[in-house]
Amino acid sequence: MGMKRKYWKGIEELKQTPQFLESRDQEFPAQTSVEEFLSDENLQETSTARRDFLKFLGFSVAAATVAACEAPVTKVIPYVNKPENVTPGLATWYASTYYDGSSYASIVVKTREGRPIFIKGNKDYGFTQGATNPQIIASVLGLYDSARLTGPTVKGEAENYAKLDSKIKDALGAANKVVLVSNTIISPTMGEAINELSLSLGGVRDELGSVSNDKFSHIQYDAVSYSGMRAANKESFGTTVISADPNSDGIIPDYDFSKAKTIVSVGADFLNSWLLPTQFTPQYSMRRDPDGEWMSKHYQFESVLSITGSNADVRGMIKPSEEANVLAYLLKKFNVSTGVSTKLSKATKASADSAYKALKSTKSESLVVCGSNNKAVQILANKLNSVLGAYGKTINTNAPINLFKSEDSHMGKFVKSVVAGNGPDAVIFYDVNPVYTLPNGAEFGEKLKKVKTTISLASYADETASNCMYVCPDHHGLEAWADMNPKRGHYSIAQPTIRPLHNTASAMESFLVWAGKEKRGGKDSKVAYDFIQNIWNIWGFSEQTTYSDFETYWSMMVHNSCVDEEIPAPTDQVFNDATLNNLGELPKSELTEFILYQKAGVGSGKHANIPWLQELPDPITKVTWDNYITMNPVEMEGKYATTFDQEHGLNQATIKVGKSELTLPVYPLPGQTPGTVGVALGYGRGANGENIGKAAFQTQEYGGHVILEDGNPAPIGGNAFAFVGEENGTPSYSGACSVTKAEGVYPIAATQLNQTVMGRHSIVRETTLNAYKTKDKEAYNPSWTLQKLDEHGNHVEAPMKEFDLWDEHPVENIGHRWGMTIDLSSCIGCGSCLVACQSENNVPVVGKTEVRRGREMHWLRIDRYFASDEEAAIGQRKDKATFSYDEAEKPMENPQVIHMPMMCHHCNHAPCETVCPVAATTHSNEGLNMMTYNRCIGTRYCANNCPYKVRRFNWFNYPSYKAQAEVNPAQDDLGRMVLNPDVTVRTRGVMEKCSFCVQRIQEGKLEAKKDGRPVQDGDYASACADSCPTNAITVGDWNDTESTVRKNADDKRAYQVLEDVGVKPNVWFHVKVRNEQNDILDKLQVVKEAHHGAAEEHGAGGHEENSHH
Amino acid sequence: MFRKFRRWCLPALVLLFVSGTFKSQAQGDALFNTKCATCHQIFKDGTGPKLFNVRQKWSEGGAIEGTIFQWVNNWKTAAASDPYAQNVSTWSGTAMDIFPDLSQEQITSIFDWIDLQEPVEAEAAKSDGSSSSEEDSSSGWIWIILGSIFIVIILSVGGVRRQLKATEAEEAGVDFNENMSYMDELKQWAWVNRRYVGVGMLVIVIGLVVVVFLGLYTVGIVEDYHPSQPIDFPHSVHAGTNGIDCKYCHNSVTKSRTAGLPTVNVCMNCHKQVAGSSPEQQEKIKKIYEAAGWDPSVGAGKYTNETKEIVWNKVHVLPDHVYFNHSQHVVVGGIDCKQCHGDMTKTVETARVQPISELNKVEGNIPLTRPTLTMGWCIECHQEKEVSGGSLDTKKDGYYDEIHKRLMDNDKSLYSKYLEDGKVTVKELGGWECAKCHY
Repeated sequence: MGMKRKYWKGIEELKQTPQFLESRDQEFPAQTSVEEFLSDENLQETSTARRDFLKFLGFSVAAATVAACEAPVTKVIPYVNKPENVTPGLATWYASTYYDGSSYASIVVKTREGRPIFIKGNKDYGFTQGATNPQIIASVLGLYDSARLTGPTVKGEAENYAKLDSKIKDALGAANKVVLVSNTIISPTMGEAINELSLSLGGVRDELGSVSNDKFSHIQYDAVSYSGMRAANKESFGTTVISADPNSDGIIPDYDFSKAKTIVSVGADFLNSWLLPTQFTPQYSMRRDPDGEWMSKHYQFESVLSITGSNADVRGMIKPSEEANVLAYLLKKFNVSTGVSTKLSKATKASADSAYKALKSTKSESLVVCGSNNKAVQILANKLNSVLGAYGKTINTNAPINLFKSEDSHMGKFVKSVVAGNGPDAVIFYDVNPVYTLPNGAEFGEKLKKVKTTISLASYADETASNCMYVCPDHHGLEAWADMNPKRGHYSIAQPTIRPLHNTASAMESFLVWAGKEKRGGKDSKVAYDFIQNIWNIWGFSEQTTYSDFETYWSMMVHNSCVDEEIPAPTDQVFNDATLNNLGELPKSELTEFILYQKAGVGSGKHANIPWLQELPDPITKVTWDNYITMNPVEMEGKYATTFDQEHGLNQATIKVGKSELTLPVYPLPGQTPGTVGVALGYGRGANGENIGKAAFQTQEYGGHVILEDGNPAPIGGNAFAFVGEENGTPSYSGACSVTKAEGVYPIAATQLNQTVMGRHSIVRETTLNAYKTKDKEAYNPSWTLQKLDEHGNHVEAPMKEFDLWDEHPVENIGHRWGMTIDLSSCIGCGSCLVACQSENNVPVVGKTEVRRGREMHWLRIDRYFASDEEAAIGQRKDKATFSYDEAEKPMENPQVIHMPMMCHHCNHAPCETVCPVAATTHSNEGLNMMTYNRCIGTRYCANNCPYKVRRFNWFNYPSYKAQAEVNPAQDDLGRMVLNPDVTVRTRGVMEKCSFCVQRIQEGKLEAKKDGRPVQDGDYASACADSCPTNAITVGDWNDTESTVRKNADDKRAYQVLEDVGVKPNVWFHVKVRNEQNDILDKLQVVKEAHHGAAEEHGAGGHEENSHH
Repeated sequence: MFRKFRRWCLPALVLLFVSGTFKSQAQGDALFNTKCATCHQIFKDGTGPKLFNVRQKWSEGGAIEGTIFQWVNNWKTAAASDPYAQNVSTWSGTAMDIFPDLSQEQITSIFDWIDLQEPVEAEAAKSDGSSSSEEDSSSGWIWIILGSIFIVIILSVGGVRRQLKATEAEEAGVDFNENMSYMDELKQWAWVNRRYVGVGMLVIVIGLVVVVFLGLYTVGIVEDYHPSQPIDFPHSVHAGTNGIDCKYCHNSVTKSRTAGLPTVNVCMNCHKQVAGSSPEQQEKIKKIYEAAGWDPSVGAGKYTNETKEIVWNKVHVLPDHVYFNHSQHVVVGGIDCKQCHGDMTKTVETARVQPISELNKVEGNIPLTRPTLTMGWCIECHQEKEVSGGSLDTKKDGYYDEIHKRLMDNDKSLYSKYLEDGKVTVKELGGWECAKCHY
């Protein structure tokens, strides 16, 4: 028993660095000592002397006393005519749809008194099954961004619509050539509005309904392109693939991860950014249930450790250029020769062999996906799927996905012509930001100023819009009517949930007005609404039989937000083998390769202004507010700092791709393929000081933006779109680069080192599917026991629940006992719960500096543990001084990952409650650990005593303290509108923490009481459970023996974190089950001799604990 | 526009509020308030003439005996038969309402009650609300004047005494230190009598501390808070005389956390027809028309779509960190509005925070001791109020049935402890827990 599986949160812990050891023993990060504080030279610059200070103090005490005697008069204004669906104090939910050019989901929007305040997935309708992502949830905050344009402008000056429209109409009419650049339009109605614009400019409609016009062209352009995939599908299957438009670039088929028993992903981050994660995530997680009919086996070959890779059963590290090699290797195993190199490293080969075995056994019930945008690589993936017979089973080419129709060749030509100065004389930009997302964006932006007429429909004066002459701002998605057709057979509607806040106009209306078809409708315009309704009448209503009158049909469509036509079943496709001989340019193998990826928070940069997303710790690196170069720590050894903490930052490096270069900190990311570096897209927004939102820029320690030499605020990170190259005719997101160490150390704000595992082995538990299926529960999920004396005076083992330090609270089986279960097998670490919690509970944003001080306020954090298989068990380390983790070297290179949401456990023997001197935190007879802010005096004893480290101290008055002025949404009148009125906005000096969304508990109970029935499942869902795309989090009444949460808590996979401490939490986790072969883990997980093992283990854990307190 | 809570530092004002409560014909009081008070005042002419000693005025003026009752029932008949009444009908352009259902005894009781009123008291009683701040300052002046008079007296007495002492010393041939200041003298005296001075000072200090603390306890108590309102809305007419259910106007009380202020269109449901009979009423109702954008002058009235909001001053204001849900109390708890808001059918003026003493007078209310709208008040009620009526173990009400069943099945001893006083109270089911109202 010398071996133990080790879990570590960061390399600091693995290596036991001095900084780590110091911070481990200090729960709260080092605070400036008084001497240090007083010796701060900045202090002496202030004019306040000590005596003045005392005077101020005296005055403020007096003032506060006087002020306390007078309460302000509160005004209350009733509606003149109450809108039918609004009852003050009650939330109204609207079904709608979200699409921003990259993410798509059916959503439900919670509004209070007419203000949208919360977005969650629609679990009843739509193929996304209630899944969203952090960006969708946080998009509600974008509605209230004060940087949004409040009305149309001409050359930056405000203008009214009448003048603007006539100028634009004249300009368009006079232009020789008009180009409309938009993101992928998945709205049939928007397509029709654009057709109208084209027709008005001399277009001709053919008998099929499509409009052609020599003078007007429409280019669809996506920030992140999938055109290589479309090209590959066009070549692979030729005409056998039904395509909506014969002229299109080919299709992207629909993938069904719920039918795939073996999933092989080569560089596709399909749980986070690849294609339609909101659809794939629920499908995937459905088959990751070890208790289900079968559990899928997931292989991931990738360069940057992605969210998807962190969930894989087997993860192979490859360079971007090796993606083709992996596919070719697998094809070779299936006796298909491709002429592509099959050279792989030894470890990757082993993983690929295992993947081959799995693929061979599951045949058509397999799915191979590939993230490359190189046609050649995608053709190889297609061939592999074809060989497996996946077409016809897991891949449906008959229901193609309509997203990502980037017409890159057209865009390329257009950009070239503009840059060369011989472009069209009128350009319209709709929902695109090419100046930011083009590799030569800056140059394009400069030349754009020379184009005679430039029109933007952007909501912000962003990189592109600020170079345009006319800006006619579009509504926010929550203010506008829209329809969508994300894939064949599925149509959806987005309805507005608030009256437009500003003098903006729906883009659809603008197109129709410029086409001369409609007049401006003003603030309560029905132009777009009528147009959409009309189209749905012609194309939708007439083609269905369920509803006999249009009114009912339309109401139902809006109510459900979407409708499915019969979707054709997948059919097998004949692969055109000739394409294998004509792959074209393959990615070249390079010494150092870079790969661009998208983070869960910021994505492709569209939401860079939303502070919730900037402060969302990256699921893998746990870094907030920054962009960085990811590099394998093994490779960094000796050259770069591989550890960092609050005082010591990261070394910087300059990455050079072609002529572009960026200097960023180098982050040690275990699992990054040696020889590669990763850089996230979406950073460096507003590099020329464009007003895209306060939170998109770096902030100073005591408030205000960091101002660069040119007078502009400093953007966060650097823009990696500059590295996008071209390969095989399509944009490529990887390639050769050089990385050279740069001067300086960069402080980074990561949330990962603030707390540690402290060597306790009762935190994360995992097992293999095989062990789970064949072994006894005690092998993979041993229960804790303690010794006690029985009536005969003998030592006997007894389960933990028999031991109570204090009298028990009467919560079990009486009244309610609110509990939560979290399935570690399902949790993919996406971060949706965290943002949802922030949105629901008015959790403040604190900014980078405060995060660096360990003062992030998130009530819910997601702990990311790296797992390695070897570590000497505690107490067996021979010599602490010479102990080394050489054994762990390999795992550090490519470790396994566990994501673990962590929030207040609402312990029934809560250690926090007993130490509160003012009884501000107390226990409810429903099992909740209550926090009463008004009683709290901020001693922080409770946080000190919390074994889970989930309590947060409110250091500042975030809604008004100037250091948070740029980042906290509650600091301005608009941003404040996003606050949930049912939850107190906490003030300075109090503790706060997860309340299990007690406001929702009370609401759910009240509903049941009013209905005169017991509380049932579904009456209450915490924000995190509500937003979880994989349903990993379940909440409910444990005392209700029929409830899901009770069943989950009684499951044999259920365990409680730190159960051995005896705090009796109300949160249960489910042991993570990986569908992997892991002999080491199997060897470790045996039923221990009941008496001996458990006691010894507990002894060790207890010892460790004692040594730190 | 701040509410004044300075009373605690000016205890004298309390005296003003203890001004006697009238013991008079309750019936006459109530009838006057519901029927007459909209137009008539007692000592002052308003829409209608003042009513003090009106019977005497009529008989002295030569009215026929009994016409006055006729007048109240229907002034037209009285005017037709009596020249004096005819004369009175020309008093103002506004015609008086008719009250055919008032009996002679009732009318007599009204007049009796009116004649019992005394001018000064009536004025004071009337002005307790909005003008209290003026009284604050005027009573402050009284104290300052009294204080300065006392100081002058003390100083002159001290001066006289000093003179006497000096003379005495001179007579006795002792050297009297003329230069000794008052302060030195005081010190000397205090030192001589240090035992008494010490005890006295202690008493004073303790007394001050007690006063300060008692004062602090009254901070945030909003009993009797009665803000001015844009429209002098008489609840007594709507809920009392006309018997409109509270829920008709405050219609989200069963659904939402807020009871809801009636939206203007709800007012218009009735006020399209009811335009008011007295100028005063018409003036008030006109404000509703303005808000609703209703032009009554065009034919049968017409909406102009030019609406304007009515900005009320919130009366029952809870701090932001308190969550209170009306529907929980009204629907689930079955609490009558009266428990917290008093009997609004009798509230002639706009709503105010009724003091606990008045709430306790309302029939059917659970008697409580803590001031209205304080946490103690909530908590006390939660301790008293039982969760469900009737025999609890047979109670069949879905939600609470399940809760009682769980108690009965799983912890009988706890259940019987709860039932020691014969009821399961809100407190026993967790109604005293912080997170029930604070989150």
